[in-house]
Amino acid sequence: MDRMKELAREILADAKAKGAEYAQCSVSEGEKKEFNVDGGRFSLMRSLFNRNVTITLLKDQKKGTVAINKFDIETVKNAVSDAIAAAESGQPDEAWEYAKEPVEKEFTDGAPECDTDKLFMRTKELLESIKEKHPTILMEQMITEHNSGTEVFMNTNGVNYVTNYGAYTFSLMYSAHEGEKSTSFYGSDITLKTLDKPVLECGKIDWEISMVEKQLDPISLEGKFNGPVILAPMALYEIVLGTIMGNFVGDACMIDGTSIWKDKLGEQVADPRFNMSSEPYNDDVVVPNRHTAEGYETENFDLIKDGKLNSFCLSQYAANKTGNKRSGNTGRNIHVAAGEKTLEEIISGIDKGLMVMRFSGGQPAASGEYSGVAKNSFLIENGKISKAISETMISGCVPEMLMNIRDISKDIANDGNNSLPFIAFDGVTISGK
Amino acid sequence: MLQDILTDKKALFADGAHTELRGQNNRTRRAVLLNGALMGNVRSDVSGVSARVYEGGVYGFSSMAEYTGEAAEMVLKAATENAAFMNKHAGIGKPALPKMALKQMPTQEDIKDAEQKLYVDFAREADAYITKKYPNLVSRTIVAMEDSMEKLIVTSDGASGHILAPRSYMYVVLTAQTDAGTPVELFQAFGGSGVFGDNFADPTKLHAEIDDLYEKLMQKREGVYADAGEKTVILDGMMSGMLSHEAVGHTVEADLVLGGSVAGPCLNKRVASDLVTLTDFAHTAFGEKCPLPVYIDDEGTEAVDSPLIVNGILTGYMNSRESAQHFGMTPQGNARAWLFQDEPLIRMRNTSIHPGKDKLEDMIASVDDGYYLIQSNNGQADTTGEFMFGVTMGYEIKNGKLGKALLDTTISGVAFEMLKTVDMVSDKVVWVSSGMCGKKQPMPVGMGGPALRCKVKIGGR
Repeated sequence: MDRMKELAREILADAKAKGAEYAQCSVSEGEKKEFNVDGGRFSLMRSLFNRNVTITLLKDQKKGTVAINKFDIETVKNAVSDAIAAAESGQPDEAWEYAKEPVEKEFTDGAPECDTDKLFMRTKELLESIKEKHPTILMEQMITEHNSGTEVFMNTNGVNYVTNYGAYTFSLMYSAHEGEKSTSFYGSDITLKTLDKPVLECGKIDWEISMVEKQLDPISLEGKFNGPVILAPMALYEIVLGTIMGNFVGDACMIDGTSIWKDKLGEQVADPRFNMSSEPYNDDVVVPNRHTAEGYETENFDLIKDGKLNSFCLSQYAANKTGNKRSGNTGRNIHVAAGEKTLEEIISGIDKGLMVMRFSGGQPAASGEYSGVAKNSFLIENGKISKAISETMISGCVPEMLMNIRDISKDIANDGNNSLPFIAFDGVTISGK
Repeated sequence: MLQDILTDKKALFADGAHTELRGQNNRTRRAVLLNGALMGNVRSDVSGVSARVYEGGVYGFSSMAEYTGEAAEMVLKAATENAAFMNKHAGIGKPALPKMALKQMPTQEDIKDAEQKLYVDFAREADAYITKKYPNLVSRTIVAMEDSMEKLIVTSDGASGHILAPRSYMYVVLTAQTDAGTPVELFQAFGGSGVFGDNFADPTKLHAEIDDLYEKLMQKREGVYADAGEKTVILDGMMSGMLSHEAVGHTVEADLVLGGSVAGPCLNKRVASDLVTLTDFAHTAFGEKCPLPVYIDDEGTEAVDSPLIVNGILTGYMNSRESAQHFGMTPQGNARAWLFQDEPLIRMRNTSIHPGKDKLEDMIASVDDGYYLIQSNNGQADTTGEFMFGVTMGYEIKNGKLGKALLDTTISGVAFEMLKTVDMVSDKVVWVSSGMCGKKQPMPVGMGGPALRCKVKIGGR
């Protein structure tokens, strides 16, 4: 790490000597151990040794960025010169602003050391226990890995962070098969700090697999109707939360003025029971993002509180461009507060509707309108999940949905990065054949 | 250009084990203007060396972010150890891969690395043109970019080679507002294979294309929602390219067939109408160079075309050397990796339905009540063949004539059912190559096709 710190100092000094009024760099070194399962059997073991150097600087308030993956001083100095040349080719922008307060901190998060044998053992155990407990499931692909490393971040204002991190991640893609029948594929992911217990007991993986097993005999819905739809956590993120982050509160949509919420700070944008925050320091997060790309230490913040827009999710640059405040981080680790009903209670209150596990849809429009296919999903009839469905599309408008929340579940799915409930929305368009 | 420090390391390859050693450099140049502000001004160079070893039906892989002889030796050792670990704990005793004849492919020409100013200035010129001519827009995003893959591939058997694959694009995103204040957006990518300076020598040559994009945006601004349900549509070339890639191509990648895709039981069976013939082309299609030509893959297989559907019958899969051995097929050069640190996966190259004999105008005239769908911003498909594409530009067809433009919508269907409804195929192929295919790793791919008349489900209100 001393070598990385020394390299970071040399980069900053070189940038200053070449005319930059501000410079920052991220120097990192990491390792990955990975096992792959394809078509239900082990196929590959990977071990990677990576390095990255990202240099950002301002010259005459013009910004240039260069990324390389070498630590030798000649390559690094050439990269600084390239960053200077890139900046010189640009245009001045007074909005570029970076962390100014000197700070020196070191963090250690997650599981920086990999137990490779145990990772293999847990992977094998997971594969075998799924085969035994869920015999119709075919593991199309499973990637299990441990990523670890150290990042040194420094800027010319005296900001100095060292972050040591490590985590185990299990990513599963599977479908159910019986004779010539097969289901849509589904993906389960979880990030873990330890391998103390079988992975099938972590998060909602077992429940998700059991739901996919129930999808072997789907029916096609006829016609079109408006009805309540329960979005499971993955579908909730794909349809609603991703649209909020990308279309309504993030840097790009705020700077270009296309956010339909740009003038709604403090206003009611959702049902009062809806609370959405970005919480890197939630206990459920395995590896928090410790600082932003601009060098600010991160903190939790509320995006939507009691249904009111509490904050945008903005970098300092976007904040300066739009006249708003920089947010506590740049929007990772989304947490949506739990409601008061169990999933079963929510289902029991629906006469006819859908539970959508996954969504395959077009990128939502700037207005928040979307349409797509309800994947791995179920028809709800008379307060019960009745049948799996296929070839069914749903469409709606995210801002309208947020005002039409029917119920939020007590159950929270935590995957080591985000913690999300099931949410039922009224008035979604459902169309079958 | 990477110096060849790898060929000499063949002496270190383990006897009898298929071994690949690859040096690689990925270069990206990008300038992003958002409403005139230079939001992104980035250059990236990522290089290193990797090795992969096959033993007993499993692979070991390792990579380092160095391109030196010492690093090559270290990754060879680590990949060999990883293969041994896997073979010991999870090997299935499969025989060695069938040997391929040694061959040295010709080294491709080096590419010139332009200064960042080229990208920034080009983006600014396009932005200035739009700002001056179309001041009523809510926003505009201009991206000038180039990326390239340089690979030095040395294999224990089969072909070795030194390849360079640059591509460059201008992305233009325009946003207007409806009278009700709702934002409406339209996007177009221009460019293709080759370096930026060759594809974009004169900024003024883009002006007519930007004008056309603006015209379509104004039509979309007055657009209507599609009527949800199953409809007869004309999928234009970009959409049929998306169909070829997402809905058919992925299901016939042999690793996904082994993962249970719908194509498994369909080999040599009818999956489309007689009018549909589909090929994953290596480097030349319909007498012309493909948008992203591939001459050798990362397993040392010389690239040739993969015929997938012939006159409606599913005739083959895309393979790696290992999957080809499994299915008793011939590998055709589909195993490719994105970065030096990535292992080769079965990937498409340039996938297209072959052109037919119909004229687009006759196809439109033949539809009483349907849609003409031109442009997409994303697509996904399931291993069941169920697909979904976002539609960002299209028109109503009423009584054989184009009507109002459509607001953003989505189409879906099941590929091998929907392809049987194809009853007209246009005589012109449109290619696109500006996106990335996502499958564990990103990968540049070309996809194209003629216009198709068929039935799909469309979302809407």
